[in-house]
Amino acid sequence: MAAITGASISMQPRPRLSRQSLKTTRISGLKSVSVSNKKSLSLRLQPLQSRFRVSCAAKSETVEKVCTIVRKQLALPEDSAVTGESKFVALGADSLDTVEIVMALEEEFGISVEEESAQSITTVQDAADLIEKLVEKNGA
Amino acid sequence: MFSFLRQSTFTMKVHCFERKFCVSSSSLVPLPLPSRMETHFWYILPDEVKSSSLLNQYLDLLSPCEKENVFRMHGDRLKKRAILARALVRTTIARYQINSEVSPRSLKFRKNIHGKPEVEWQLDDDWRPPPLHFNISHTSSLIACGVTMDSLIGIDVEEKQRTIKNNILSFAQRYFSHHEVELLTSISDTEVQRQEFLKLWTLKEAYVKALGRGFSGAPFKTFTIRYGGAISGNVNSEASQIVVESCDDSTSHTSNWEFTLLELSSHYAAICTEKDNNAFEGGTLFLWNKII
Repeated sequence: MAAITGASISMQPRPRLSRQSLKTTRISGLKSVSVSNKKSLSLRLQPLQSRFRVSCAAKSETVEKVCTIVRKQLALPEDSAVTGESKFVALGADSLDTVEIVMALEEEFGISVEEESAQSITTVQDAADLIEKLVEKNGA
Repeated sequence: MFSFLRQSTFTMKVHCFERKFCVSSSSLVPLPLPSRMETHFWYILPDEVKSSSLLNQYLDLLSPCEKENVFRMHGDRLKKRAILARALVRTTIARYQINSEVSPRSLKFRKNIHGKPEVEWQLDDDWRPPPLHFNISHTSSLIACGVTMDSLIGIDVEEKQRTIKNNILSFAQRYFSHHEVELLTSISDTEVQRQEFLKLWTLKEAYVKALGRGFSGAPFKTFTIRYGGAISGNVNSEASQIVVESCDDSTSHTSNWEFTLLELSSHYAAICTEKDNNAFEGGTLFLWNKII
């Protein structure tokens, strides 16, 4: 099998975001914000005009669970680099893999994902965010 | 090399060729555009591509955006597959006698409103682009590109040995139609059940890709793939009609779709094209395996 050597193909380094990359969430009224205690996360308040901007991560344990399910579906080794920003396609998932992953997530989290939402999931983070949204809706 | 599992029309002729995988358009053996009654199916087996210098030549054909996508893939195997998939599409389309401007490197692509890839022809005052349609599918061990003229096309390939991680019947109940669930439930042998599941998946996926509206545009549950009765007088007893039906109205057969299911190099390959209602004799399927 042909090996791709570093000399032949130029690798363009992509800026890597840390695992604890914080997602900006806009909330109109400040409700309770849950922050995972696993790693140290900084909570930044940046008032912008009349809106509060609070940065918080989708629970890292949700992202972890998604990563585990993705690894299992794609038969990736435990130490393979799968993080929130990993794109399913870049990990080698085809359409059947993606649907299998969505189904496994439905079973794991007790949610139901509609086709429109499933189609928009391209990264682990997308899946984790959607899960939290649906779990919250279930709980409400 | 291949065998028909099921075909829509018993008169579907299949021609199978092996062609060299060429990079520059000068060495591409030019082909006339497909007629409306033809479906061209090109495929390559990544494991047969062993030369890294050739792989670099293919990489060189890609647009900057495609190259970026290649580098985003995790690991050499996936990078290689991504390169070959785009190289296959570019060299395949450029091979047809479109005009002197078209080369593998010069082709531009875009996505339609639903995300389906299509050629973005460089328009000229005097020139109308041909109504050429294509669709790609790949697994780790096979990459395929189907081409038609003036007809929508969708293809899907899956490894025959592919394991399903979820419970098959649970999966089918969640995503497939009632009739399909019944069919799968009636199969007691788990291995046969898995194979039939995969065949149904490829056919359904090929149909949705032909429609080009995305996964949510034609949810799997809203239509049934049905194997019709054998056509009388047919020599090949394996062949029977494949039809797609809307679940909302079972009396309306969506009769303008043609399905072909093949077993190809340990893969299932499903091809879905629009039927030419004037062509009662059925179409011709050309299979090309590009080898080095």
